[in-house]
Amino acid sequence: MIKQFFEASTVINNKYVSQWKKNGKKVVGYTCSYVPDEIFHAAGILPFRIRGFGSTDTTIGDTYFGPFICSLPKCMLQLAGEGKFNFLDGAIITPGCDSMRRLDECWRKAGGDIAGAIPPFFFHFGVPHKFSDYTIKWFTDETRRLIAAVEDHFKVKVNNADLKKSIKLYNKSRALLDRFEALRTMDTPPFTGEEALVVIIAGTTMPREDYNALLEKFIADAEKSPGIKDRVRLMLVGSANDDIGMVRVIEGTKALVVADNLCFGSRFYTDRVEEEGDPVFELSRRYLGHNDCPRMYGDYQRRLGILEQKVRKANIDGVIMQNIRFCDLHGAENGLFERDLEAKGIPCMRLEREYGPLVETGRMKMRVDAFIERIQQKRRAVA
Amino acid sequence: MRKETREYKFDWMLWNTFLAASHMKNGTDKEYRSALKYIPYFNRILEAIFSPGEPGKKFLEACAKYAENIVFAKERGHKTAVTTFCFSPAIFYAMDIVPICLEVLTVMMTFVYRRGTAEFLDYCNEVGFTETSCSSQRGTVGAYLAGIGTDVDMFVTDTPGVCDTNANAFSFAAVYLNKPFFQLDMPPDLTDSRTNEYHREDFRALIRFLEEQTGKKLDPERLKENLLELEKQDEIIAALEDLARLVPCPLPVSYNFMIYASRFFFAGTPEGTVVLESMLKVARENAAKNISGLSGGVEKLRSFFCYIDHYAQNMQFWNMLDQNGICYQGNILSHFWSHNAPHVAHYHKEEAAYKINTGNMDAIIDSMGMINSRMPMVKSIRGPYDAPNMWLEDTLGLAKIYNSDFIVYNGTPGCRNTWGMVKLLARDTEKAGFPTYIMYADAFDARVQSWEATEERFMEFLKVRRLV
Amino acid sequence: MFAAGCDVGSLTSKAVVMKDGKIIESVIIKSKARPWESADEVMNLVLSKAGLTMKDIQSCVGTGYGRDKISFINEAVSEIACHGKGARWLVPSVRTVIDIGGQDCKALRLDDKGNMVKFITNDKCASGTGRFLEVMAKVMHLNLDELGEMSARSRQPITFASACTVWAQADVIQHLNDKVPIEDIAAGVNNAMASRMSTLANNIGLEKDVCMTGGVAKNSGVVNALEKHLGIRIKRIRREDPQLAGAIGAALFAAEKVSGGAK
Repeated sequence: MIKQFFEASTVINNKYVSQWKKNGKKVVGYTCSYVPDEIFHAAGILPFRIRGFGSTDTTIGDTYFGPFICSLPKCMLQLAGEGKFNFLDGAIITPGCDSMRRLDECWRKAGGDIAGAIPPFFFHFGVPHKFSDYTIKWFTDETRRLIAAVEDHFKVKVNNADLKKSIKLYNKSRALLDRFEALRTMDTPPFTGEEALVVIIAGTTMPREDYNALLEKFIADAEKSPGIKDRVRLMLVGSANDDIGMVRVIEGTKALVVADNLCFGSRFYTDRVEEEGDPVFELSRRYLGHNDCPRMYGDYQRRLGILEQKVRKANIDGVIMQNIRFCDLHGAENGLFERDLEAKGIPCMRLEREYGPLVETGRMKMRVDAFIERIQQKRRAVA
Repeated sequence: MRKETREYKFDWMLWNTFLAASHMKNGTDKEYRSALKYIPYFNRILEAIFSPGEPGKKFLEACAKYAENIVFAKERGHKTAVTTFCFSPAIFYAMDIVPICLEVLTVMMTFVYRRGTAEFLDYCNEVGFTETSCSSQRGTVGAYLAGIGTDVDMFVTDTPGVCDTNANAFSFAAVYLNKPFFQLDMPPDLTDSRTNEYHREDFRALIRFLEEQTGKKLDPERLKENLLELEKQDEIIAALEDLARLVPCPLPVSYNFMIYASRFFFAGTPEGTVVLESMLKVARENAAKNISGLSGGVEKLRSFFCYIDHYAQNMQFWNMLDQNGICYQGNILSHFWSHNAPHVAHYHKEEAAYKINTGNMDAIIDSMGMINSRMPMVKSIRGPYDAPNMWLEDTLGLAKIYNSDFIVYNGTPGCRNTWGMVKLLARDTEKAGFPTYIMYADAFDARVQSWEATEERFMEFLKVRRLV
Repeated sequence: MFAAGCDVGSLTSKAVVMKDGKIIESVIIKSKARPWESADEVMNLVLSKAGLTMKDIQSCVGTGYGRDKISFINEAVSEIACHGKGARWLVPSVRTVIDIGGQDCKALRLDDKGNMVKFITNDKCASGTGRFLEVMAKVMHLNLDELGEMSARSRQPITFASACTVWAQADVIQHLNDKVPIEDIAAGVNNAMASRMSTLANNIGLEKDVCMTGGVAKNSGVVNALEKHLGIRIKRIRREDPQLAGAIGAALFAAEKVSGGAK
């Protein structure tokens, strides 16, 4: 079971994607969790989350991006330049953050230099930085603009009925992932954090129907599995992370990542889209409103509340707050989280890292080990 | 932070420094020259600012006034708002809120203090803020986070959608100090109707927020008064910008800095107008005599800076340009896109410009929304660099109209936005025939690259590209 | 009952043999390319000095970056925990430990029982680590011991314009060319180091007593400058070489393992 998820989450042009393309269907990539994938599903297009995982260097990325830029978009551009995303029929770029939004022009210019590196449909999708009535309205109009562009380019029609069907299907995934989350946070979870991330990421690279079926089976099996005992329970928060190797290093033999608040993780599946009403509006409202990203300035207290809730629900021993070098949004917010969670007696550890090939594992492991030792010392002291 | 640094509130120190500086030329020239000996760390900057004559004195008085407003805000019963340079302070002045512009304060300290804002920069990191964030906010925010500045009542920014590191600094500081926060949000487009509607609603929300914070209703007459004064300032700036097209350029090298500093400090208030009027007088005199604004009198090169300046201590950056006969034709900070700006007419960019209309409250709000939306950075880097009305078009347009010989990019390592596209910009500006130099310095932190190294590399670029 | 601690670092490897909470023997050597080779050599040296063999050691804990590669240890413990433990043995009143090693630096706070409360390590680069001093000392043709005592002789320490090791090195060369007194350059180097470290240390909050471990703790220039930056007295370690803190901590953890509990 996990093997299928594993392939989907670590191989870019995985077997689901290649089969989809063989059937003459289209794939559109997106870089940010603010893009409502349901739109593409309703259009009969496979939405594919673009990642940088698998890049082994950033020479192409560095050619277009300047220095002092987070390595996430650089790795994405690297893969695009190497032709690894040539199966994409389109890409949606979102101003998730300043580094990510420059993927727009950098990819376009790379596409001008390297034949085939840029998909024929390339769209800049704006997202407001706050949640209020007029920003939802703007975002709804922007979503309609996206839909119109997709319809025009791909010669499809995306009507409300199709959208509602897709929303229902995606809500089903979200409900399944809630069950999955409950298993994950049990006293003796049936799978590791590494496996959890594999399962979650796989959902972004394969058809939703297949994913729901696999997930259903996975959950049923997991419910019967014996749990993993005697591990220090960690929560992983911070910058986008799709590197399961990193979670493996963090877990080692002594810990388990039983919860997260990551962009590639559980951040994107909690909450539902309203199934009644105007589907475009409801999609826009949910996607803009629910995302727990520090790009939504001024919303720190709510995000802190979410972390506190997760710590309680999952019985967390310690929180690891990682940020990619140059990621100021997560990096700085981690500083605030650390201050506020430590004040409530929740051990926290900040970790800065590079995105891309998993390096510095020795340094990372040393710190995580020290953090686990700190937690164990605390446990002994309390006992 | 050293104990000595904590002894005095930093804004009080700054006020005293600039106040004293503004008095330096009140006596005889002999007295002035003697006094310079006693201020080894400030004398070169004074010389640089006083060199254009009366405008320099007025400018120092304006700086001192700005700092004074901050220091005495509480005593005078005013609320204070920490804000950013690309947020037009007109609305604050109309509501008797004292703006505290982070970046300009950082510039003032970087110019004037031997260690610049190093301790405040580092203090931010000590309390959990990332070291890779832009130094322009960190340089001043650190002092406020450490509690050695005036009491802050709120944080107001308009950089979401334009500059993450800026918006993030505000967001962080507001949480850290537990103060109210408001953001004006910028969509990636500039001129479409959805954008205009968005700005309108957003600005209304801002007014509601400010009314809530002050407990007072916005008086439209005050705002109107402010906007009319701003209109006056825009006309003066347009006249200055027009004069800058002359060869030789009659504007002294420090003029651009004084234009944007005055605008950031005192948009729509007489304090700002007084400086600009004085500057225009001298510029016109130079133009009438057909002389260069450079102190050497000989214009060898014309430079255009597509982003920001370098604020090395003692205005060494401007001195370097001046000493080498390089006149300064502006940067992203010194152009505000009023409808009467020369480049607007020249390129028929009326849609990208703003026109002030004080006919009714809606018109006033629209005008303010437009002004803010066209502030430096807020206009040019909110969308892809090669989109209409964005960075490339602005840079090339301005470099051309001012007959620049080369283009220079300088910023900070914290500028995620521009570093994400500057190589692409340079490629295009080179293709357009402008030798383009990318500086790797930090405009506000000489520890990243020393001024000496920065200057050496700059001169090397000019030599290699056979500009000198 | 003999317990041993082995700390394999990037620049130096240390080993300590303890009995009943006292140090029997200790050794510091320059590390080799492979951590297991360094571990073997330093352990053999300390055992031979003590007149013991590995069979006499009831428990051995390894720490440092190479700890997982050491074959003869019973357990690997992070060097952060070991430095904390070792510092507490060296200075029983310590609550804040600042360690500047060869390739990283860290600060940690302990509670009254010696348990870790908080720690932080450097993220970015070499500046703020022993490597920075090593590079500068080489350029100035000084050994590391000399670099430290230069600060006391300096009248006018230079201020480094850059935090970067590479560019600071260029600055040092420039100053040497300009015939700036070497004491002033050395003092500037020590101050730059201290300044970098103080930002890190302030991040976790300082609690008295503060002490420094690691090789750089022997550089009086850095220690004095750090005291000034932090505004708090740093208690000097006199009991043993501060560079042994990690190995001592490891040995203490080893002893606890045998005796069955934290003391």
